[in-house]
Amino acid sequence: MAKLRLDKLKPLVALGVFLIAWWIMPPVIKSFLKISFTEFQAPSWVVSSYLEDIQGFWARRSHSKIELIEAGRELARKKAYYQYIAQRNESLEAEVDRLESILHMPTRREFRYEVARVVRRDLSAWWQQIIIRKGRDYNIPEGAAVIFSSGVVGRVVEVNAFTSRIELVTSPNFRMAATFETDGRPVIYQGVVQSGFGRATGSVNDAPQDIIANSQAPLKLVSTSLGGTFPPGLTIGTVSWLEPGSTGIFQAGEVTLDERLLSLHEVSVLIPLNPLELNNDVP
Amino acid sequence: MSQFDVHKGENPRILLFLWLVIASAGVLIIGLAWSQLIATNEFKELEKRQTERRILKPGPRGDIYDRNGNLLVGNRPHYSAAVYLDDLRKEFRKEFVTVRNEADATLLQVFQETPIDERPDKPPIANRSDCAWTARMNVIQRYVDQINQITGRSDTLSQSKVMRHFNEKLLLPLPLAEDLSPDHYARLIEQLHPKNSPIQIHTDTARYYPYGSAASHTIGYVQNVNPDADEIPSDGIKTFTFKKKRGKTGLERSFDESLSGSTGTEMWRVDPLGFQDTRLKMSPPKQGKDLITSIDIDLQIAAETALGERTGAVVAIDVRTGEILTIASHPNYDLNDLSPFIPRTTFNEINERGAWLNRTLQLSYPPGSTFKLITSIAGLRAGIFDTETTHDCQGVYRLGNRIFRCHARYGHRITDLAAAIEGSCNVFYYSEGLNMGIDVISAEAKRFGLDQKTGIEVPYETSRLVVPTKDWKREHIGAGWVPGDTANTAIGQGFLLVTPLQMATVIASIARGETRTIPTLKALSREEGMQVNHGGEPIGLTQKQYQKLWEGMQRVVSPDGTGRLIQIDGLPIAGKTGTADFRAHGKDVNLAWFIGFAPANNPQIAVAVMVEGTKSSDSFHGGSTAGPVAKDVFLKFIDKYPERAGFPTARE
Repeated sequence: MAKLRLDKLKPLVALGVFLIAWWIMPPVIKSFLKISFTEFQAPSWVVSSYLEDIQGFWARRSHSKIELIEAGRELARKKAYYQYIAQRNESLEAEVDRLESILHMPTRREFRYEVARVVRRDLSAWWQQIIIRKGRDYNIPEGAAVIFSSGVVGRVVEVNAFTSRIELVTSPNFRMAATFETDGRPVIYQGVVQSGFGRATGSVNDAPQDIIANSQAPLKLVSTSLGGTFPPGLTIGTVSWLEPGSTGIFQAGEVTLDERLLSLHEVSVLIPLNPLELNNDVP
Repeated sequence: MSQFDVHKGENPRILLFLWLVIASAGVLIIGLAWSQLIATNEFKELEKRQTERRILKPGPRGDIYDRNGNLLVGNRPHYSAAVYLDDLRKEFRKEFVTVRNEADATLLQVFQETPIDERPDKPPIANRSDCAWTARMNVIQRYVDQINQITGRSDTLSQSKVMRHFNEKLLLPLPLAEDLSPDHYARLIEQLHPKNSPIQIHTDTARYYPYGSAASHTIGYVQNVNPDADEIPSDGIKTFTFKKKRGKTGLERSFDESLSGSTGTEMWRVDPLGFQDTRLKMSPPKQGKDLITSIDIDLQIAAETALGERTGAVVAIDVRTGEILTIASHPNYDLNDLSPFIPRTTFNEINERGAWLNRTLQLSYPPGSTFKLITSIAGLRAGIFDTETTHDCQGVYRLGNRIFRCHARYGHRITDLAAAIEGSCNVFYYSEGLNMGIDVISAEAKRFGLDQKTGIEVPYETSRLVVPTKDWKREHIGAGWVPGDTANTAIGQGFLLVTPLQMATVIASIARGETRTIPTLKALSREEGMQVNHGGEPIGLTQKQYQKLWEGMQRVVSPDGTGRLIQIDGLPIAGKTGTADFRAHGKDVNLAWFIGFAPANNPQIAVAVMVEGTKSSDSFHGGSTAGPVAKDVFLKFIDKYPERAGFPTARE
């Protein structure tokens, strides 16, 4: 009979002890360990992202002067264009403020923008998160809306000292109130499990029956201010089809999202200037 | 001697047990074979009944449209926040332990503080069932509070409601907050985590009325009810049902069957405690059929706007088909206030205003002078008077010791039939009414169906319709018929009671030269409209008699007629005004009537208007009070259907 090699069981015993210890450990310590782990891990992500920036910097240094001059010109043209747009927006905003004061409309939530670099992407079928290079050091609040040039990116779900975790709009754990651009009635947008191939998608539910979408004229799904997190009118995606949902009257459909969502480098966090007070600031 | 027992072959003493064991095993094997091979179906059914649950979800109701495709009744989202109790079981258990420990500790403290000689042998323990309910309520209330915090509402949930839900609808979601506004709905969607929070946002439907109070009595409202027992399959599988909407009044009630959607079914396998485990089958609910009504919402709004705050009724009918174009009763109520349920304060407020009553068909009134058209037709048909007959109206008519007055104080002087209609001369009709007698008048009124319900597709049409006869008075009043009764009946007063809807059918029938009009609220196709048979007979007047009657009705809406305010340039209108006295609920009420049709030379639309007023109302008269309401309806008719009104169109 072979001699029982108890020493071979050592790793299993160690694992068992560790699991039992973790199981009986007080939640406070568990939480502390988890946060500490993230905080200790974060600098490596931040360093890695800075290294990427340096890499990008040197890559751009290799361009010829002619290319740089051309890029500078292009940049100047764009800047001029955006300056014009900004001026027009300013005058429109003033006009909107004037009309709102005449109509005694309630003031809208104002936001300030905090632009942040993406340092890491955690993308799988079930979770879709990114980590940005700003956290409590820039007063990023939990629950804040995150956007990019083409619309909604997601929502801040965790804020650390120097980084923040963003739940992407593609994630099944992300849900928000939305409206179709030409319709004021609220619908539900929710991310879905991503296939990993093709474009990112989400789902829309509770769409009224009279809304018709087709691939020739896809409907634009935009954010609504009703939910309290996002300002109105930000693009979420487009809806090419709607079909009767399980209620027998409301429709459900697929939302095609911007393909750049999964390769973002820079995003803006919208920080409310007057934070939402759930107790007092009722709809 | 061997240290061990050695088997010595058969031992007779244990053989008995051997056979007993074999027999018992045989019984078990046969039982097993019986249950597994022969009684399979029976046990399958039993297993199914024990482990399967059915959820029935009624389909949304169909929409209701007006004749031009405008949505009168639709379905709006009805948002609610709910939890499946199954999702809270872990929290229930955790909370139960806390509650039980606290309760036991309290009892132990009381026990210890009690003097030894008074205390029981053992410390008492808390009632476990009470602890379980307290724990459940604590958990549920926490989620209600969370919803309140996000929405700013102040909802609460009673223990009795939770207990009822727990015992009767365990598989259905427990509503924590109902009828959420779109704002609340949006906030909850964003503030609650879709996966981590057990609170789910449910979207159901509630009836939605884009035109608010327009045609409220006719459209009707729905009530949330539990499905009937016969709607639930009787296969023994426990079934949970969501409440369905059932038409309570109006078209919602009359067309309930077709408007109701088909019920969706979900089959669930449940665990031994009854909580859901796996969904086995799902068929979605389907929306009910749409209903296209004959109502023209623009005409309806014109009529209701013209009625304003006054109490009254307006009915407009398509003369040819009997389709109801407008049917308004005031005071009315905003149907949106009754959806998804009727708050008690709203019910009481509507009740106090008397707005629940549909005055077009649920209440009956004396028709006043509008009835003179029936009296005229009766007299002409019976040969009691002819087109040349005249009377000298001096403002009063003496009958025995009683004096019956004409509303023209100094009389209408010499009046023939057309002039009597134009001026609504009572003296002419007192005299001719007495000549023809009540039997002739009653028979004519009955020929026009005034003693019968119209049969319109709206429930609760009153049966308190009175076309008085000698027998009727003897039976109901207990007195004999006197000539004064005939005189009063001839001018539409006395015991006569009709509904505004009936008078609309009467004037539509006269416009067509027939005795009956079957009103309908269903929009008819062109072919159906051509084939409508109202089931009456021709009025039976000679051409000359018709002309005289028409002349009288047109002179009513002429510069000297009682309906002069109704005149519209280019639209010949024929009609009759009326004013009647009425006593209702101990109050004297004046009634202003107008019935008429247009164009007089090619009748397309017939209108009946009745407005209630008090004795103190100034210048209360059919022509000046009810007439302008009818005029607004005619004007809108010209606007909507210029060709039918005989007006040139841009195409022409």
